[in-house]
Amino acid sequence: MLSYLGRSTLQKLVTLFFVSVISFLIIHLAPGEPSQIDPLNPKFTPEIVERMRKEFHLDKPLYSQYLLFYRDLFTGRIVSWKDNQPVLGKIWERFLNSLPLFIVGTLLTWTFSFPVGIRSAIGRDGVYDKSTTFLAYLLISIPGFFFAYIMIILVVTHLHVPVIGMETFGVTSASPLVHFMDRTWHLVLPSILGATGGVAVLSRYVRSQMLEIIGQDYVRTARAKGLSVETVYYKHALRNALLPFVTMFGLILPGLIGGSVIIESIFSWPGMGRMAYEAILARDYPIILTVNFLTAVLVLLGTLVSDLLYMVVDPRIKL
Amino acid sequence: MSIRRFLIIAPTVITLVLLASYFWVPTYEEQTRGNPGRLEQFITTSIGDATLLNPILSANSASSQIEGLVFEGLIDRDEDLQYRGRVARDWRIYEHAYFYVNDGAQTASWGVLPGPELLLKLKSALKADPLVGPHLVAMDLLPAETILSDHIDKTDSQARTFAIQANAPERIRITLDHVDQLFFDRLAVFLGKDYFEQFDAAARLVCDPELPPRQLSILAREILPVTVHNPVIDFFLRPDVRFHDGRQLTAEDVKFTYEAIINPENLSPRTPDFEPVKQVEIIDPLTVRIIYKRLYSPAIGTWAMGILPKHLLDSEALSQEADRHGQDPAHFGLRQSDFNRHPVGCGPFVFQEWKSDQYIRLKQNPAYWEGPPNYHEYVMRIIPDTLTQEMEFYAGTVDDYNVQPHQVSRLSKDERFQHFSGASFGYAYIGYNMRRPPFDDVRVRRALGMAIDTQKIIDFVLYGQGERITGPFAKQTDYYNRDIPPLPYDPKGAEALLNAAGWHRGSDGYLQKNGKRFAFTLITNNGNQLRKAILAIAQDAWKKIGIQVETDLLEWSVFIQKRVNELDFDALILGWSMGINPDLFQIWHSSQTGKFQLNFVGYADPLSDDLILKIRREYDPVRQVQYCHLLHQRIAAAQPYTFLYVGRWTALLDKRIVRRVTDNAGHTAILPIVPTKTGGYTFHFNQWIKLSGPPNMAADG
Repeated sequence: MLSYLGRSTLQKLVTLFFVSVISFLIIHLAPGEPSQIDPLNPKFTPEIVERMRKEFHLDKPLYSQYLLFYRDLFTGRIVSWKDNQPVLGKIWERFLNSLPLFIVGTLLTWTFSFPVGIRSAIGRDGVYDKSTTFLAYLLISIPGFFFAYIMIILVVTHLHVPVIGMETFGVTSASPLVHFMDRTWHLVLPSILGATGGVAVLSRYVRSQMLEIIGQDYVRTARAKGLSVETVYYKHALRNALLPFVTMFGLILPGLIGGSVIIESIFSWPGMGRMAYEAILARDYPIILTVNFLTAVLVLLGTLVSDLLYMVVDPRIKL
Repeated sequence: MSIRRFLIIAPTVITLVLLASYFWVPTYEEQTRGNPGRLEQFITTSIGDATLLNPILSANSASSQIEGLVFEGLIDRDEDLQYRGRVARDWRIYEHAYFYVNDGAQTASWGVLPGPELLLKLKSALKADPLVGPHLVAMDLLPAETILSDHIDKTDSQARTFAIQANAPERIRITLDHVDQLFFDRLAVFLGKDYFEQFDAAARLVCDPELPPRQLSILAREILPVTVHNPVIDFFLRPDVRFHDGRQLTAEDVKFTYEAIINPENLSPRTPDFEPVKQVEIIDPLTVRIIYKRLYSPAIGTWAMGILPKHLLDSEALSQEADRHGQDPAHFGLRQSDFNRHPVGCGPFVFQEWKSDQYIRLKQNPAYWEGPPNYHEYVMRIIPDTLTQEMEFYAGTVDDYNVQPHQVSRLSKDERFQHFSGASFGYAYIGYNMRRPPFDDVRVRRALGMAIDTQKIIDFVLYGQGERITGPFAKQTDYYNRDIPPLPYDPKGAEALLNAAGWHRGSDGYLQKNGKRFAFTLITNNGNQLRKAILAIAQDAWKKIGIQVETDLLEWSVFIQKRVNELDFDALILGWSMGINPDLFQIWHSSQTGKFQLNFVGYADPLSDDLILKIRREYDPVRQVQYCHLLHQRIAAAQPYTFLYVGRWTALLDKRIVRRVTDNAGHTAILPIVPTKTGGYTFHFNQWIKLSGPPNMAADG
């Protein structure tokens, strides 16, 4: 177990190093320069452009830029080119904003997918199964932004309440409960939108897993020896069907830092996705690379967690 | 059983909690109408967040919008685009002109004269001169001097230092009460045409070690320029302007702002505007004198720049701040200061709060010198999506909305809103690489322009929200020459022009000359729907007159770096956004046609060059306009671009927003918001207020 952890950590560190090199190269090889350096601004003289490139270390060879960047990242001194704010502080602030959206979205996805998927599997090819399948494909294929606009227009014109941003704009003198509920309300639409795709996909997945398990011999045996349908499906079959989802649970970890560009932009949510997207457009390398690095760390951590979880839930697996 | 129950209860509970929150949310009704404070609040939106709220460091539109309210410059432009005083109550522009006495040179009128006598003769001659006399303030003779300096030569791989000793002869200084770029031409009447040219500056330089003669003469002209214009601006500041922290704004702050811009460590994007400044002198706490190295008329406009408070940002304050943050003062500059997120200026609004990517909140400055603005609060909400902006506007939680072109015809009829529209500062064009045949022929460029129906582009691509443009100046300014007709849409005429240029239809239907088909590639950047549409329209229009056009859409940075900067294109579609200033040097002067420069079409015309420099050096607005009209005509005749259109913007505003003006006697009048000559409607923003009901202008007179 310990030796597995040691080996795995070492492997992951090596992977992380390569990820850092490759992402650094890709971003620097991509055409374009930080938006502060604007070659089409008549007011910019070549001297200014040169001075800015120097300030951003863009005049140095790539390997020394790489070293400078990761030195600054690990010492926490790295600042965004856009506004000179410390990158880690900015990411932390955005992370806290995106976190509730992530939590509620994930809760919705996971709590809805299972009942829907199990029910479809049990009543296979029934009306319920057919209609959820139809709904699932509908939800997968509807473009997120379009769905978001429809929901916003419906809520704003019929319910006359605001849905934009993290809280109702301009409400300051309310009690903590009202404040909390207000924030919760603003989570509703974006997290539903974030969850629809997830529910659609995950419930299909649950359904197929359940179907596979239900077809197993031991389920038939359990039924044959006279156990109630409930016990067979929800106790024996479900437990075994859950196994693959344990691994998936580790893999949602990177979602913590991903955020959704489209939903965050439409709902004016000051989250991670929007910041990263704007950083890419403005070629704000420190932000892009830091987010990239943290995502890589989370992905690797997620695989480690899911390996360990698998071992915990499935005694047949030894690491 | 219990698992099954859990699976059903869990999603139900979550859903109920989420939906229950609905009953706590304030409705739009409560936010807008039930809230009297809302009437004293102006809420606007921005697509993007501000970066740094420091007028010398940032150049993006969201930052500038906030900076314009928190900070104030010495001057700005009034409704008619004329300069008016803000922090400065008045100013005076004049010049010192200098020339070296050229010992031993013949003067046209008086033969060879030594300095003191030349001064006397010239003084009486100039006083009698009808053009110079009325403006002559003083003339002095400055004694000869020796200037010591070091010159670092970097032409070789290693830098070498030369010690230079320049023996400057006597110099005559003439002070005029205005700026006259032709002053030395007027002097030449008395001194003779060669008097200045014969001045041998190189002979007065002693170099150690010696420089090659060519370099020496270049250097000599730099160190001992025979004639020099030093325009001067004296600004007289208002005594009652205070920063938001109560400190009075003085000449020290103006000088500090200039020094902060010039300081290379601050990486200010505004450095080029202030590079021509020779020095900034403080005459007294309320008078500051700016002396320029050379004639540079856009210089006045640069003082619309917000003035920074010295006491919060000078090196002492910054090193204290660095200490507080526990950072190394050596690496702590203006860019690192917290000031950029908590700005303190002297404008009509005081900065309050900035939540990144959410909103920036300002409040009324009660001590504003012109009287406090009517609104108590100004909020800029960051809403990156235009449809979301629109929904918030309808709901009343945002006070203005910038209408998309396709919505204009519908929304401008809406009774609930007042609407404003005007031409943008900028235009779209098709540029031809004039270095490559056949674009080196003006007839060809003209024919290409005539083949495109620009009016149709405006009508269908822009939904009518555009105007034709014929030249390089902002259409709403006087610099734009309105007498120049746009190119007609005339494919027949275009073909005739091409025939005259030697292009004739071949058997395959394409134009040919010397057995070569007329074919080229038109490019633009990807991601701009308008340009993409124009690309297709132009391709089709040109195909109709027998030209084979390939098109290419490139990612923006590839487009700029590989094609535009490297001058590797036949024709391209692009746009310029611009200011009011008529200085066109970077885009049209022939010295700017190299790689990585902005005259990438390669327009080189000596007459235009001369006009561009004259515009830059002319301080008299009337004459500047004349030069601009000539330049406009010249460029329109050469058609280096096919000038397409300038877009129109439209903005909606709640109908209850009006101007409330209180005169000295205390009478309050309600006036409608009217756009200024240039189409801007926010000019009187400080007088704006929202009424609780629809305004009744007629009753109020």
